[in-house]
Amino acid sequence: MINFSIDSKEVTANKGESILDVARREDIYIPTMCYLPKATANASCRMCSIEVEGSEGFVLSCNTPPVEGIKVITNSDALYHERQSIMKLYNVNHPLQCGVCDKSGECDLQNKTLEFGLDEQSFSVRDQARKKKKWGIHTYDPGLCILCEKCTTVCNETVGNEALFIKPGGYKSHIEINLANCIQCGECISVCPVGAMASTAFKYTSNAWELDKIPSSCAHCSSACSLNYESKDGKIYRVTNESDFASLCGAGRFGFDFDNKVLNKDKDAFDQAIDALSRAKNVVFNSFITNEEAYLLNKMKKKFGFNLVNEDARLYGEFMQNFATGSNESLYNATIDDIKTSEFILSVGCAIESDNPMIKFASSQAVKYKKAYVATIQPVHEHAISNVISQYINNEVGSEEAALAMIADTFVQDKESQQDFFDALDIGYLSGESNISEEELDLLLAKYKRKANPILIIGEDVINHPRAKNIALIAGYLQKTGLFKVLIVPPSTNTLGVSLLCELDKEEDGFSVGYNVASDFTLSAKGSGDLDIPALNQQEGTFVNIDKNLVVLNAGVSYNGYELNDIANALGIESQNIIDYTAKLGFKEIAFDDLDNYYDNVGKAYRGYKIASTKNRKKAILDEVAELAEFNGSVVYNRNPLRQFSIFTQDCEQIKERLELVGSEQFAIASKIKSGENVRFSIDGTLYERYFRVDKRMKGTVAYNPTFNEDKTTSNYRYNQVKLEVINE
Amino acid sequence: MTTKVYFSTWRDEHINNIGKAEEDWTESAYNLPAQYDEHASSKAFIGWDGVALFDPDIDVVKLATEYAHQYQEYSEACGRCAPGRWGGRILYDLLDKIARGEGCIEDMDHLKEIGKSMQLTSKCEIGKTVPNPLLDLMTHFEDTFLECIESQKPSKHYHEEVDYIAKITAPCMDACPSHVDIPAYIEGVRDVRLDDALRATRQTMPLAHTCGRVCPHPCEDECRRSNLDESIAIMELKRLGADYETDHDLGFFHPGKGKKKKPNGKKVAVIGAGPAGLTTAYYLALEGVEVDVYEALPVLGGEVTVGVPEYRMPWGKYSEDIEAVKSLGVNFILNHAVTADEMREFETSYDATMIASGTRISKKVRCHNEREEIQGYWGAIDFLDWVNLYEKFDITTPKEVQEKQMLSTDHVDLTGKTVACVGGGFTSMDVVRCSVRAGAKRVVMFYRRDEKTIINNTTYEEYHEAVEEGVEFIFHSAVAKMNDEDNVLKSLDIDKFELVPDPNGGRAQLVKIDDASENIEFDYLIPAVSQAADLGFLPEEWEIAMTSWATIKTNGVDYMTSRKGIFAAGDCEYGPMTIVNAVGQAKRAASVISRYIHTDEITITDDEIMEDHLRKMKVYDKKEKITGWLPGVPRQRSEVLDVDIRKYNNEEVNFGFTKEQAQSEAERCMRCYYIAMVAK
Repeated sequence: MINFSIDSKEVTANKGESILDVARREDIYIPTMCYLPKATANASCRMCSIEVEGSEGFVLSCNTPPVEGIKVITNSDALYHERQSIMKLYNVNHPLQCGVCDKSGECDLQNKTLEFGLDEQSFSVRDQARKKKKWGIHTYDPGLCILCEKCTTVCNETVGNEALFIKPGGYKSHIEINLANCIQCGECISVCPVGAMASTAFKYTSNAWELDKIPSSCAHCSSACSLNYESKDGKIYRVTNESDFASLCGAGRFGFDFDNKVLNKDKDAFDQAIDALSRAKNVVFNSFITNEEAYLLNKMKKKFGFNLVNEDARLYGEFMQNFATGSNESLYNATIDDIKTSEFILSVGCAIESDNPMIKFASSQAVKYKKAYVATIQPVHEHAISNVISQYINNEVGSEEAALAMIADTFVQDKESQQDFFDALDIGYLSGESNISEEELDLLLAKYKRKANPILIIGEDVINHPRAKNIALIAGYLQKTGLFKVLIVPPSTNTLGVSLLCELDKEEDGFSVGYNVASDFTLSAKGSGDLDIPALNQQEGTFVNIDKNLVVLNAGVSYNGYELNDIANALGIESQNIIDYTAKLGFKEIAFDDLDNYYDNVGKAYRGYKIASTKNRKKAILDEVAELAEFNGSVVYNRNPLRQFSIFTQDCEQIKERLELVGSEQFAIASKIKSGENVRFSIDGTLYERYFRVDKRMKGTVAYNPTFNEDKTTSNYRYNQVKLEVINE
Repeated sequence: MTTKVYFSTWRDEHINNIGKAEEDWTESAYNLPAQYDEHASSKAFIGWDGVALFDPDIDVVKLATEYAHQYQEYSEACGRCAPGRWGGRILYDLLDKIARGEGCIEDMDHLKEIGKSMQLTSKCEIGKTVPNPLLDLMTHFEDTFLECIESQKPSKHYHEEVDYIAKITAPCMDACPSHVDIPAYIEGVRDVRLDDALRATRQTMPLAHTCGRVCPHPCEDECRRSNLDESIAIMELKRLGADYETDHDLGFFHPGKGKKKKPNGKKVAVIGAGPAGLTTAYYLALEGVEVDVYEALPVLGGEVTVGVPEYRMPWGKYSEDIEAVKSLGVNFILNHAVTADEMREFETSYDATMIASGTRISKKVRCHNEREEIQGYWGAIDFLDWVNLYEKFDITTPKEVQEKQMLSTDHVDLTGKTVACVGGGFTSMDVVRCSVRAGAKRVVMFYRRDEKTIINNTTYEEYHEAVEEGVEFIFHSAVAKMNDEDNVLKSLDIDKFELVPDPNGGRAQLVKIDDASENIEFDYLIPAVSQAADLGFLPEEWEIAMTSWATIKTNGVDYMTSRKGIFAAGDCEYGPMTIVNAVGQAKRAASVISRYIHTDEITITDDEIMEDHLRKMKVYDKKEKITGWLPGVPRQRSEVLDVDIRKYNNEEVNFGFTKEQAQSEAERCMRCYYIAMVAK
């Protein structure tokens, strides 16, 4: 704690705060052009220079921590003059075609030029040709670029992909890209203060000021990141976010056009839906649904007695029940922010790169800002994130239970409370079967020492694992020991919420109604069923995200058809609006309209509220590790490419992906298939047809099988042994 | 050496001999590069702190333009702040406009305005200081500038070819014997681009793990930040890049484009795999030279491996530095002490030979009865060899050493023994701290001078940690005599001295105090006073020139010995010195060799000539007043292993910075890059 004053106001700085940070917290204005609160200060614009009484010259406020007792002056004639000079320099040869620039109206250069009263340019330099670039979803215009370095900083630090970099050269300096590293997330666009880094698709489609900005939450994965839908005349033009503090992945930013365009209400279909629901044996749905609608389905189940089916949430809920027995807490105790501040991250059964992009972003930030040691235990080698991972432990497919048991054995010192479990472990055998060596575990333990805030991430792979129960118990036990904070990744957007709100059943033979799942009668937000329902960007409601926060969903565009609440009303479960249920979910009695959804001046998020974990006194008995099933031959791993999650991302114009099975050369040889061939295989009765492509950087005999076109999440373990058959046409 | 100048505003001086005859010129107080090299003199020197003219015929307008142009050229180090990026360009454009005869009077005002903004608000010193000499010239030679503008004619030598040689430097870079681009690697830490940080280090220093730990960091003594508050923790920040490379499977971050050049068919032999040998091999291999390194020991790394203890320089880290050298395909031949015959043969089988064999003979204390055969008399080099070979490689101490040194086990275990060490440098510190860890019950360091001097010779941390671990330091003392019984050491006679100030104000004299001597029982006396080079493998008929210290003589510029094609670097050339010194010498030598093997000529580059000039001038100015930075931002200190734990093991004592500490420390760096330029 350091006490000092800014413009005669007495203020206090916390550890790690710069003078600028404190000023912003205290609502004292210091102009900046390059400062990005969520990343390291670039110190390139020099606008934030301030004066300190008794000290000669200007001091940069963005990266200077205050010293006890100093008196900071944020404005003076001299400061104004130099800031004005900097703005003069920024405007040297900057094109004056604001009329055709996308950024006009929300441009920092425009704003500051006006703020510092510049209406003429007194000197110029010989300009040079600067070539515009198109890099997929983003275009770069070096003529507009002011070299503030925000884009390179987020690419390097926030995303961790190190694709953008500065090609230095004084006046010739510009931004370059290593396109192979770019994941097309658009973070660079979001932070660009001018029109240099622009969205290829949005460019020249609308002026910024014509768009309505609707704050909401992303519907694609369990991070449910904060975003704004920006729309006009019933169409979403783009997604923006509070880029000073928060991030979005490519799916969140560019996968917004999944709204269900319905012109008017279809009364006939509506009547059929009422009939179907009232006589349904099963109602099948997935976890791309709001809490309110899930709650409503559960209410209907109670009234009509149908089986409420959602395997994704049921298995996750079961996993959490067992986890709670092991941990004596109903919820896991880590958040995405905890990953960012962790110095030791261990993941088991998680495709860090793509399952939940914010886990990867956060892990990368931990490496960048905390020098974190990141280890991953998974059967595949995720080569694309080797700048994040310090230790790859490639276990045998199916051996996650053994892996977790061996972690417990390695890390837990006081084994007394589970002595039987530990005594029964045959580490030599497990090591041989799982292919996890004791040396690897010893290294892990050695690296764990002296590392603050260790985290264990339990990924999707184990939720559907045949031994999920014991895995959950061990994971719970590990949380209880305090050796790690634990995060259990919810596989879909609202898996956690649904698992907390619904009593779920297994499907039985009989008439089924599907909610976004193809069934005998289907309600579909894709427009492909018997009755149209609104997509998640057309609804109000809430999700429970990976951070166990209940967050707010607002409609980016309106919806003209019927929705679930209309059906419920017709069936006698009455409520004027679906969001009337928000306060009744059983978490906190806060009405939808009273939920917060904003960031404060220093970036603290106020988004809904945290779901409380409850304690229990259950006694866990860890089970002996089961013998391992063998996986031979061709094994495919259900894993989506970056930016694809579900049927709702599938058809979004800017992020389309081919349904391709991707494997190593070794996989191709072992499976007797060639890159470019179409193949067919089946998993548990479901037939898959995929284009096969070899990725030369991949290793091993496991191929990635995308499942984003599936409306129903499988209840299978994500790894499956398959027989591949080439389709000859 | 001082220089006569025609005009100078260098540092604080104002010399104006304009219009005077050359013999009446006054001298500059500074060691300015008036003579560029043996072939050419300089017309002018221009830099961050002023300008000096040696030739009245110099075209000052063109000189200013060229200096501004160099800022554009060298902006790979900069161009990353608004004032520098645009301001620098405007300076150049406007100066060139005036110089080519197209300027107008407003241009002079704009130059002054932009210059002042750059001085006040630029990100690094290069942007802040480039306007300095330009404004000096515009002030003192205003008429010349105005004449160009009024006549609308080019400056007097505008269209003539003049050689301008520029170099980027910084006080810390200049002070570092390896001239590591310190601001660049610190910027890499601050930018969270640790790969870039390491690449910057490796331009001139391949051993980043090592010199991030055990460097005496002379750079920190010439850090400009120390004028404001405390110097930057330069050494420790070097570890970040190295740790990042080691912790991730991303290959090696070699300098430049990161790849070695194609093999060019040339071969070089290197004698010794210590820091100098590794460095020579590294930079030659990057150039596409095939390198064979011959090492007498069974392990790589030289004295840093067998001399520097594990707790200070863990083998696991040093070996990563060595891996980087290996990754370039360097061939290492272990357990191979070269002979004179082989040296003769190398002259034909290799295109050049580098001798980097170090100094591996412990010198004597020079006391009475100092006899090699006394049991308990143990040279520091041999002692540390066996300690380290066992600790790092499980290589046990051979029977004959066990017998000679009365060891009851196959390694150095001094449980219950008393150890005396004579020294005062790093080696003696290693001896006493290793003795503590080997279980000795009493460890005493005898040193002729005082505490302050021992700290100067080593580091504060080193001395402080040794004291914490229980080493007794007896200052102003010396061993006078070894007392033995049947060739087994029993005790030492110790003389005491006092410092008697010189009444005439000279250096204080050490005078023995009569009757203060005492006899103390010891089991071991380990001399660690200094080391000598063992150069028996040099063919006698080569008659290689030696220094008075019995090391190999070179000119200290190109590192070729008196015999053509035979080079020497590191301790065997300089005498026992630091790692960074050995690396610096070897880097230069490798550069010279890389040309020699193709051209058969010994040359040094303009960059190296400038490097040497700047070192002679000294870039750091202790008296400079720093403005534009907030004083009092504390230097970060890394955590160390608790003394009660470390005394009993060999684990690394210093944990290094956390990333937050490193970030805060990197943000204290003021990026004191400067451009120096000579007009030839």
